[in-house]
Amino acid sequence: MAGRDYLGEFEHIIMLALLRLEDRAYGVTVRQEIELRTKREVSIGAVYATLDRLEKKGYVKSRRSDPTPERGGRSKRFFRVTAQGVTAVNQIQRALSSMSEGLGMIGSYS
Amino acid sequence: MTSQARFVQPPRFATWLVNLFTVPQDDSIVGDLFEEFRNLASRSGVGFARRWYWRQAVKTAASLFTLGWLAAPWSTAAAVLGGFLLAGYVNGLPDKALSVATDRYLLYWSSHFQAYLWLLRGMLIGHIIASLFVGSMVALAAKGREMVATMTLALIFCAMAGIGCLWLVAKTGEIASLSGLLWYWADPLAIVVGGIIVRRRRSPMTAVGSA
Repeated sequence: MAGRDYLGEFEHIIMLALLRLEDRAYGVTVRQEIELRTKREVSIGAVYATLDRLEKKGYVKSRRSDPTPERGGRSKRFFRVTAQGVTAVNQIQRALSSMSEGLGMIGSYS
Repeated sequence: MTSQARFVQPPRFATWLVNLFTVPQDDSIVGDLFEEFRNLASRSGVGFARRWYWRQAVKTAASLFTLGWLAAPWSTAAAVLGGFLLAGYVNGLPDKALSVATDRYLLYWSSHFQAYLWLLRGMLIGHIIASLFVGSMVALAAKGREMVATMTLALIFCAMAGIGCLWLVAKTGEIASLSGLLWYWADPLAIVVGGIIVRRRRSPMTAVGSA
């Protein structure tokens, strides 16, 4: 990873949520997936702010759907991870597993 | 989904607040909030859904405010700085007008004190009109980030007034001086209102009735 193109904690979480959701990833599902798995309340604004940043970095691409009545006639914005994004996730995953190797149970340090 | 939840609408003012900070023509954030609100209203009740919606709207506005700054920090800072300088000039105009009037009609004011008080009030209204103008100019300069720029400028003036009042209270010991903050904060509020007016003219989505 060069310069400041590394993934921050929340960016990493969002990338993993997008990879889990595959083609069902849009604001609502991403927010709910994060809340379900991390047990922390996340605002839709924080999700979009991070997704916009990831899109600018080239890790994520978005497309708009047609407006639907259950959303008050508003469209959805679907997101998917790019090949560059997958590489970034793999790199951070490798770095994390390398750093935690041999530490055993994290709980034993608290 | 219950029939009540199907027709219930999210708080309009909260939707309007979010729309002030979204990119014009991008309705996906409000659409997401709307979809979750409807689901929550049918599962957990309308009251719970409304509280959730308000919480999300405020947090989302704060996130989009930060995002707006990060997206274009230099042009936003330039608009804020320009607004700061403009406010320094324009806000002094009502005071100058008052001092010219008092100098010229000194004899008149001494026998018509009530009229002098009205003139003072007129000066305060002049300040608010001047701040509205400053807010509009800043919003015009910061296209697409109208609320980010005007709210930043307003926060700077609020902080300056707050620090000034606290300093005065610390020096004189008169807590009553804090009541002046309400007047000092009227100008920053007018700056934000100026930003809202420009934003609404540029983006019809920010109309309260569009929720």
